[in-house]
Order: sequence, then C-alpha cells, then structure tokens
Amino acid sequence: MDEYILRTNGLTKKYHHDYALKDVNINIKKGEIYGLIGQNGAGKSTLLRLITGLAFPTSGTIHIFGEYQSKNLCEAQKRIGAIIEHPALFPNMSASENLEVHRLQKGIPGKTCISETLELVGLQDLGKKKVKNFSLGMKQRLGLAIALLSDPEFLILDEPTNGLDPMGIVEMRELIHKLNREKGLTVLISSHILTELYKTATCFGIIHKGRLLEEMTTKELDEKCRQHLRIKVDQPQLGATVLEEQLQADDFEVMPDGTIKLYNYLDDIRTVSRILTNRGLILEHLSLNGDSLENYFSKRIGDATYD
Amino acid sequence: MTNLILAELYKLKRNRSFWGITVIVTGVSLLLHYLVMIDWWIMDNTNFMQVGLGKLNALSPFITLLFFNLIVSTLAGFYIAVDFSPSSVIKNQVMSGNKRSHIFLAKFLVFSLGAVLITIFIPLIIGLLMVLLLGHGDILNSVGLLYLARSFGLFLLPFLSYIALIMLFAVVTEDSGKTIIFSILFTIIIFVVEKLPMSSVVEFLYKYSIFQQFSDVFTPIMTKGQMLTALIVGTVSLIFIVFCGIFIFNRKEIK
Repeated sequence: MDEYILRTNGLTKKYHHDYALKDVNINIKKGEIYGLIGQNGAGKSTLLRLITGLAFPTSGTIHIFGEYQSKNLCEAQKRIGAIIEHPALFPNMSASENLEVHRLQKGIPGKTCISETLELVGLQDLGKKKVKNFSLGMKQRLGLAIALLSDPEFLILDEPTNGLDPMGIVEMRELIHKLNREKGLTVLISSHILTELYKTATCFGIIHKGRLLEEMTTKELDEKCRQHLRIKVDQPQLGATVLEEQLQADDFEVMPDGTIKLYNYLDDIRTVSRILTNRGLILEHLSLNGDSLENYFSKRIGDATYD
Repeated sequence: MTNLILAELYKLKRNRSFWGITVIVTGVSLLLHYLVMIDWWIMDNTNFMQVGLGKLNALSPFITLLFFNLIVSTLAGFYIAVDFSPSSVIKNQVMSGNKRSHIFLAKFLVFSLGAVLITIFIPLIIGLLMVLLLGHGDILNSVGLLYLARSFGLFLLPFLSYIALIMLFAVVTEDSGKTIIFSILFTIIIFVVEKLPMSSVVEFLYKYSIFQQFSDVFTPIMTKGQMLTALIVGTVSLIFIVFCGIFIFNRKEIK
C-alpha cells in the first residue's frame, strides 16, 4: 500500500467572506515530487502555510506522515523543511550564522551540518559576507539550506526558483532530483512557471481560486497533452483493425469509452477519414486533440472559471 | 526549550540594536552619575536621598516609566518585532517543530535578560563603581546596600511584567516603529492616570497595578504588608501578561 506523506481532507480557509481555499483534498505519496500549479493568488501559499502551521484552517483536516496534524504538529514539523513565500533570513548575519540560529532552534547536534549544507547548496565560499549583501538567488539557496539543515523527510518549497538565474534554476532542479533520488526526500513545490515545474515534478496538482481542480502524474499529464487524433466510430474494434491493417498504424489505443486515440497521421486527417468510411464504418467524431502544457493548464483553469 | 533559549541568546548577542542601546545607556549612565556626583545636577526629595544614597540620584530616571520605556520598547522593536517583519524569521521559528508557547517563553526570557541588563544592571553597577571611584564609598553602608537590594529586588517583578506587556505590543504590531510609538502613547496614558484625578475604580486599579509599584518599591521604609503587596501584584501581573502573550501568540497567523 502507498504511504502518504501528506493528505488533506476538505481543507478550507476563509478570510472574512472570501475563501482562500475551499474543500482541498491533496494527496502526496512518499518519494513524490509534487508540483502545485496555480496562478498568483490561486491559494498555493495559503495551502502551504496551513500545512506548515503558520496559519490555521477554518475547517478540514491535515494528515502529515499519517498523523492528524493539529495533535502532532510539532512532532511532524521536526521532519519537515520548508521555505514559504520568501526565505526568512537575518540580514545582519552571515550564511553560517543564519544556519547556526536554525541549528540551535532545532537542537541539531554538532556544527558539521552547517558546512555540509552550505556546500550542498553551493554557498560554501561566502565567509562572513552578510545576508543583506546577498543576491536574491543566494538568498534562495540559503533558504533552501535552512530547510535542508535538519535532514528532513518532507521538503516544502514555495516558488523556489524566484530570483534565480537560468543556471541557478537548473542547479536547483538537479539538487531537488538528487535529494529525491538519493535520500528518498518527498518534495512539494509550488510554482506558476509551468515549464520549470514540468521538468522537476513527478506529479501535479492544479489549484485555481482556492480549489484543487485536478491531481495527476507526469505520465497522465503527458497523456493529456500528447497530440492525437480522437476517432469515434460505430464499431471501435473494426476501426482499430482498419487502422492497423490499412494504415499500418502502430501507435494508437482504444479507450474504455470506445474512442480511439491515434498518435500517427496527425497531418493526414483526410486519409484516416477516407479509409474508415470506405470500410463502411460510421464516423461519429474525428478531431485533432492534445495540448501544450500551457494550453492544457489554461483550458483547465478556463473550464473551472466558467463552471 | 533550552535549544530555543540558546538560539535567542545567539540572536541577542548578534543584535546590533542591543549593543547600540547598551552603549547609549552606558554613556548616558556615566554622564548622569558623573553630573550628580560633582553636584552639577542636583535633585531634591528623591527616595535615594532619604536613605543617604543621594550620590546615586542619577538612578532615578532609570526607574521612571517614561524613561525606561524608551529603552525597553526600542529593544522590543528591534529584537522582537523585527522577527515578524521585514525578515519574517519568525516563520522559521514556528516551523522548527517547537511549541509556540515555548518559542514565546524563550523570547520573553532572553528579552527580559537583555532589558534587565541594560535598564537596571548597567546603570546600577556604573553608579556603584563611580561612587567608589569618586571617593563616596562611605555611603555604601549596610543600610544603603540593603535598601538597594530590597528596592531593586522588588522592582524586578513589575519590571518583568512591563517587559512582557511591551513584548505583547511587539508581537501584535509586528513592527518596530509601531511598538515604540504605541508603548510611548501607553506610558503617557499611564502618566495621565497617575497625575490626574480619576474615578475610584481607575484609582483602585492603578493603586494595585505594576505602575504604582514602580514607585512604591523605592519608598525608604516598607512594611511587610507593602512588600507582600508588591510581590503579589508583580507575580500575578507577570503570570497574567505572559499567559495573555502565549494565548495571543498561539492563535496568531504568521504572515
């Protein structure tokens, strides 16, 4: 059975008369890199603030590591590392001093973890340089170092690539993958940069206006975004045989509802139509389907807006 | 809890405002004590004079609410409120896996330590040293020392309660400037309540508040009943204000 690191049930957050989150049921399995996609103001940060205990839900429950959060929040938090909104740092302290404060707070024995973590995020050569003189990218890295200092099992990152240059974004992505691969770290990342999130995450949740619209794996997302001809005929099995024999199509699938998804002949829709009708099949539907990631996201959000 | 106290001590040691205020208080303290001891600044009718400690008259401002509030509220603003904004390091503390009540208590303990050190300890030690160095050591007899020990000992409880109150302002306002301004306004209100005639209820409340104790504990002669009142008022106020602080911090949403 899959072990869930985080599950929420009907999680709702209301400010006065407005819902920041409404009935959110998020499910994150151990070892996943979960990408939370949403526009600015969609409720991503609110959700992360509830999970990390910075804010309190109006209703609903949060289960972290299989435990009911509000009863074991402190215990659960010891196993979590997080950056919410922007890295929280002491501007007049150096990187290692910032980590030392956090090490003391968490009661982590020994100081070797500080140099190790700084090396992990590429900030080992900064000496006594004060954080107020850091670039935004360096602050993001230091924020990540603080989150990683206690060797957490679950890492929560809110817009972690903000302020990073292209190389920094790549390094951040590689670091997340490395931690996930080598330490089995479960990661929850929120972002509105779809392409970057797509390269990083292994599953996704789309959030819009405080509602979690959909959860899916990368495979499912690829499937939804992959270009194909959607064919609906009166005899699906015969249709499949015709495609195989007469078009030599080898990349298609018959869906449970009888629809055929054909991934070849995308530019030759007339040939497909002609061959099927020539064999006496009644063509009920034939269209080119599939989206880019951005289009799929826009469409999903658009559907939700008009619902 | 020990971890949190160590972390707060580490922060306090590296807090520029703390050292800045320490230097200023040390300088002001040196100057005021010197001016009093060379009789350039003469104060009449002080409690210190009545017990033969007139050369320590410069301690009077440091035990006056309007004056010591400036020190305490500035430290609260730049040590407590600054954690909430703009750095928001309070987020890391809340997410560190420690109970919020422990976080609040650790902050209170270390903030109290810093405030007591700056407001009470430094002016007192400087005063005593200057008395000795400037050849007035004879005033430090057993009566004088006992008076200082008793009055500052009893002053500590209402002072800690006031520190807790200012810390509460800092936690609620989350802003250094607002903490200082609100605390100054608050002390002005208390000053008005003290000086102007008020309803009997307000007068009763004031009489048994920490604000009355700030001056009562320095009267030359205190009965056992007065000392007991000072202890009870100080202890109850301290527990109540700290409890209120924990209650508010436990329910506070961190931005």
